Amino acid sequence: MKPALLTRSGFWVAALATAAVVLPLVVSDSFALDIFIRVLLFAFIGVAWNLMGGYAKQLSLGHAAYFGLGAYTSTILLIRFGISPWIGMFAGGVVAMLASLPIGALCFRLRGPYFAIATIATAQVLMLLFLKFRDFAWGAEGTTLPNLGDAPLMMQFESKAAYYYVALALLALGLAITHRVERSWMGFYLVAVGEDEDAAEAVGVDTTKIKRQIYLISAFLTALGGTFYVEYIYFIDPNTAFSFNVSVEVALVSIVGGIGTLWGPVVGTVLLEATSALLQSWLGSGHSGVQLTVYSLILVVVILWRPSGLIGLFTELYQRVTYADPARAKEVPLDG
Amino acid sequence: MLEVLAQAVINGLLIGGVYALVSIGVTLIFGVVKIVNFAQGEFVMIGMYISFFLASSLGVDPVLSLLISMPTLFAIGVLLQHFLIRRVLALGDMPQIFLTFALSLLLMNVALLLFTANYRTVQTAYSEMSFHIGPLYFAVAKLIAFVIAMLLSAILYIFLHGTDLGKAMRAAAQNREVAMLMGINPDRVFSVAVGVALALAGAAGSLLMPFYPAYPLVGQVFVLMAFVAVVLGTLGNITGALIASLMMGVAESLGVQFVGADSGLIVVFVMLLLTLALRPNGLFGGWAR
Repeated sequence: MKPALLTRSGFWVAALATAAVVLPLVVSDSFALDIFIRVLLFAFIGVAWNLMGGYAKQLSLGHAAYFGLGAYTSTILLIRFGISPWIGMFAGGVVAMLASLPIGALCFRLRGPYFAIATIATAQVLMLLFLKFRDFAWGAEGTTLPNLGDAPLMMQFESKAAYYYVALALLALGLAITHRVERSWMGFYLVAVGEDEDAAEAVGVDTTKIKRQIYLISAFLTALGGTFYVEYIYFIDPNTAFSFNVSVEVALVSIVGGIGTLWGPVVGTVLLEATSALLQSWLGSGHSGVQLTVYSLILVVVILWRPSGLIGLFTELYQRVTYADPARAKEVPLDG
Repeated sequence: MLEVLAQAVINGLLIGGVYALVSIGVTLIFGVVKIVNFAQGEFVMIGMYISFFLASSLGVDPVLSLLISMPTLFAIGVLLQHFLIRRVLALGDMPQIFLTFALSLLLMNVALLLFTANYRTVQTAYSEMSFHIGPLYFAVAKLIAFVIAMLLSAILYIFLHGTDLGKAMRAAAQNREVAMLMGINPDRVFSVAVGVALALAGAAGSLLMPFYPAYPLVGQVFVLMAFVAVVLGTLGNITGALIASLMMGVAESLGVQFVGADSGLIVVFVMLLLTLALRPNGLFGGWAR
C-alpha cells in the first residue's frame, strides 16, 4: 500500500487542490470569483445531495428545505441574538438534521417518483410557512443582513477571495465525508439500497435505518451551504432560501456529472455553471429562461446518451490516454 | 356561515373538475407506462396558449378550441412517447424521472422565451357571467369547464372499459408481460396512453382559458395538485384520481376561504403529507376495474 499522495489519483487530487487554492491569487476579477464561489457552493450541496440521491438513489427534490432551514437558523441567531454565523451554521445543520427525521419518516414510505414528489411538498410547505409567519421571520419581504464590514468572526469579509476559501473548505469537507462513506460499510449498504431496496432488506440491511442516517448527514451539509449562501449575498427571504431552483440544481449537477460518484457533482457543476456564465456573457442577463432552457437540454442529452453521467466519459478518456490503469486491469469480476 | 361554506365547496368542486383532467392524465401514464410525467402541467400550459392564440388571432371561442388543442396534444403525446419516453423505459427510476422533469423545465423556459412572463387572458361573453340558485353563485365559465371535464372523464371510462384498445391498455397496466404474451403491442398501447393523457391536459388548458390567465409557469400549480390527487387517489387508479381531485379542489377552496388567500397550497400539501403518514397507499384500492 503506497501513501495516498503517491498513487495516481492521489496525485491528481493534490494537483487539483493546489490549483483551487492558488486560483484566487491569480484571478482577481470579481465577476469570475463570483462564478467560482457559485461553482464551489453548488458542487458542495450537490455532493451533499449525492450522498443520499446518488448512492442510495433516494431522489430528493426538496433539499431546499435544509438549505432554507440552515439559512434561516443562522440569520435568526445573528439578527435576534447576535450569535456568529460560524456557530449559527452548525446550529442550522442541527435544525436541518432534526427536521430530516419526521420528513424522512413520512417520505421514505414512498419510492421513486413519489418520494421525489413528497420531498417537493415538504420544501414547499416550509417555504409557505416562512412566507406566512411574518412576525417570526420577516415574512415574504425577507430582510437584509447587517453589514458588519470586515468581520471574519461573523463570517463577513471585505474580499471575495475569503468567501471563496470558505466555500472551498465546505466542498473539501463534503468530498472528505463522501470519500469516507464510500469506503465504509455504510457506503456498501447505501449502494445496496440504491440497487434494489427489497434485495438489500432481504440480505439483512436495515434499509430504514441506513436511509435515515444518510438523510441526516445530507441535510446537515446542505444546511451549512444555506448559511454560507445568505451570508454571501447578505439577504434572505423565503423564495431565496427555499427556492425550488436550489432543489433542482443540486440534483441536476449530480445527474449530469454522474450520480453515486465522488466527483460527479463537481464535474456537473463546473459544466453547468460554466455554460451559464458563458451564456450570460454572450446574451447579457436580461433573457430569463435561456439558462434553464440550456440546462434542461443538456440534461435531456445526458439522460438519453449517457444516463450514468459525464464522469464516466472523463475516466474513459483518461484511461485511453494513459492506456489502461494498472490497478483496474487486475479487477476480475468475481462471478467470472 | 353555512352559505359561505357551501359556496366554497361549490367553487372547489368546479375547479376540482379541471384538476381531475390533469390528474387522470398523470395516473393513466403511471398506470400504463409506469412512469411519472413531471411535465403534465406544461401540457396544460400548451393547451392554454393554443386556445389563447386561437382566440386572440382568429376569435375562436376557447372552449370550442379544445377541438384543436386536444388532437394537437394527442399528436405531441405520441411523438413524446416515440422519441423520448420509449428510450428510457428500460432504464431505472432516475433517468425516467429526470427525463420528464427536464422536459418540464424545457417547456416552461421555452415558453418564457417565446411568450414572455406576461399573463394572457381571454375575455368571453360568459367570462364574468354567473347565475344563482338560492343564495349560491355559479360562475358560468367554471361550470362549463366542470361539465365538459366530467363528460371527458366519462368518455375515457367508457373507452377503457368498452373498446378493445381500452381493454388492452388496462391489461398492459395490470401486467405488462402477460399482456404482451397475449399479443398486445406495447408500443401502440403506450403511445395511445400518453396521447390520451396529453389530450386531457390540453382540454384542461382550453377549459381554463376563459377564467384563468395563461403564463409559462402556470402548469406548476396544476401538476402539484395532480400529484397530490394521484397519491391520494391511489397510484394508477383513474376513478380514485377523479374523486381525489374534486376533494383537493374543495380543500384548496376551503383553505382560501377560512385560513387565508395564500394558504390554499398549504392545505393541499398538508393533505398530501397526512395521507402519506396515515394511508400511504392512498384512499382507494388498486387500478379501477
